[in-house]
Amino acid sequence: MMKTIAKYLSFCLLASPLLLQAEIVVITHIENSVSVISKTEIQSIFMGRTRAFANGIKAVPYDFSVMRGQFYPLLTKRSVRQIDAYWARIVFSGQGMPPVQLTSAKYILSAVQENKGAIAYIDRDSIKGSKVRVLFSLE
Amino acid sequence: MFTVKPLRWLRCCLLLLACFIATVNADESSNRWSIKGFGSFGGAGLDTGRVGFLRNRTQMDPVDNSWGVTTDSRLGVQFDVDVTEAVHATVQWIARDHAGDFFEQNLEWAFIRWRPLDNMDIRIGRMGLDTFLLSDYREVGYAYVWMRPPHEFYANIPLSHFDGIDFAQKFAVDDSFLTLKLQAGYSYSQMQTGLGLFSIKAPIAGVNIVYESGDWRMRAGYSYMHFLSDVPAQDLVNAVNDPALAPVYPSAADLSPDLSLKGSDLHFMSVGTAYDDGVWLAQAEASYMETDNSYVVDTVSAYLSVGRRFSEFTVYGLYGLSFSFNDQVDIPAPLVPAPSLLALQQGLDQALNYNSIDQQSFSLGVRWDFYSNIAFKAQWTHFWFGERGAALWAQDEPGNIPREVNLWSLGVDFVF
Repeated sequence: MMKTIAKYLSFCLLASPLLLQAEIVVITHIENSVSVISKTEIQSIFMGRTRAFANGIKAVPYDFSVMRGQFYPLLTKRSVRQIDAYWARIVFSGQGMPPVQLTSAKYILSAVQENKGAIAYIDRDSIKGSKVRVLFSLE
Repeated sequence: MFTVKPLRWLRCCLLLLACFIATVNADESSNRWSIKGFGSFGGAGLDTGRVGFLRNRTQMDPVDNSWGVTTDSRLGVQFDVDVTEAVHATVQWIARDHAGDFFEQNLEWAFIRWRPLDNMDIRIGRMGLDTFLLSDYREVGYAYVWMRPPHEFYANIPLSHFDGIDFAQKFAVDDSFLTLKLQAGYSYSQMQTGLGLFSIKAPIAGVNIVYESGDWRMRAGYSYMHFLSDVPAQDLVNAVNDPALAPVYPSAADLSPDLSLKGSDLHFMSVGTAYDDGVWLAQAEASYMETDNSYVVDTVSAYLSVGRRFSEFTVYGLYGLSFSFNDQVDIPAPLVPAPSLLALQQGLDQALNYNSIDQQSFSLGVRWDFYSNIAFKAQWTHFWFGERGAALWAQDEPGNIPREVNLWSLGVDFVF
């Protein structure tokens, strides 16, 4: 019963603007040897300017559709609409493709666990018990 | 003549598509493909019927004081596929008002990109000429704040793509990026002129440097092209070279070389910078175009735009100017003032002396990002013309132009 309520509460939190206060962490594969990464480097990867980590591993960013609205303002000081306009420029000038969007925390975690170069973001509470490496924390 | 290239391109496209289908079938799991699109629907109108507004020189249907939707409406579709990890193919086609062959000229991209290293791109096929800040996305209204690219700078450019190869190398310098790009190929681009449809055939080459750092983007570039085809002035050339004309209009034949564009070179130099910190955005570009003929004249163009975001609204101002430096071609009078000879004199004057640009404009506008992936825009532009300075506009009667014009426009831009 308590578990159901907790689940319901966390769902409410997810859907509410209160989540702006939640801690978002940037995660990668547990075996990715990158340990230090700057906010600018994360930004470069998610904006398609850099295609590899500092250690040379090809970076594959994933967007978490539920959290895009909180993640991008924290990372780039830009709204999701500005980010979408940016990607319109990159995509339709044939320079690159935006990160694949995944719709649930479960998909994000499995994508990150499957690919050594995967990089994604998620709320800290969702990674409990998962084998992923936390690279950065955004609040 | 005009049908040869389109057919060749149609064949190329079909081949390319066949390649995609083959690779998609071969290994479905490793392929990532997508179909995306963009579009604009906009209406615009002027406060005069003496000139017609065109977004650029490739358009056929101007708008004037009876409003129209042709200048600012378009729909583009893009197909992308990762053929392998390092090879990517892109095809983009845009339905828009364009002179010449509707299918062929609107095939904007059809290229294969090979990325042998993370920071190196080599592309082969049809692609954009990278000579401006808005080079490859002039048609994607959703990607910029204005109703349309700044008229003084972009309207004079009749090329949006070429067939060839380019090479780009990106260098990471701390947290900044420097990209060097070399391009070479052949352009077949059709545009509307006062004399009729002009099919540009020109080898083309260019070098471009882009520097991106934080909120700044800066670029500088140089492009060269050599005209292999001529403007549709053959009737005038034949007329001035007619032996029967010599006794009554002897000096007309001297103009024959001026009536040709074929063999001319064009040099285009430009610099630009864009700033966007999330709240304020500013952009400026300047270019100089140098040629040696009476049709495509030496021109300097520049613009400056400043905007500010207020949550989902962006308010902006834009000032642009464009001036050309050509000398008037002296059109001598016929010895006998017969109506047909006077008409020829007038025809020569219109062909050679109304290609100059002398205009400035100031715009105020707003972009409203009212829904995900859709933006509404409204823009007012006030233009000032110098004498004979409306070469970028449709003119029923060359030279009979107002000194000032207001242009209003409304539209939506979207991506899907």
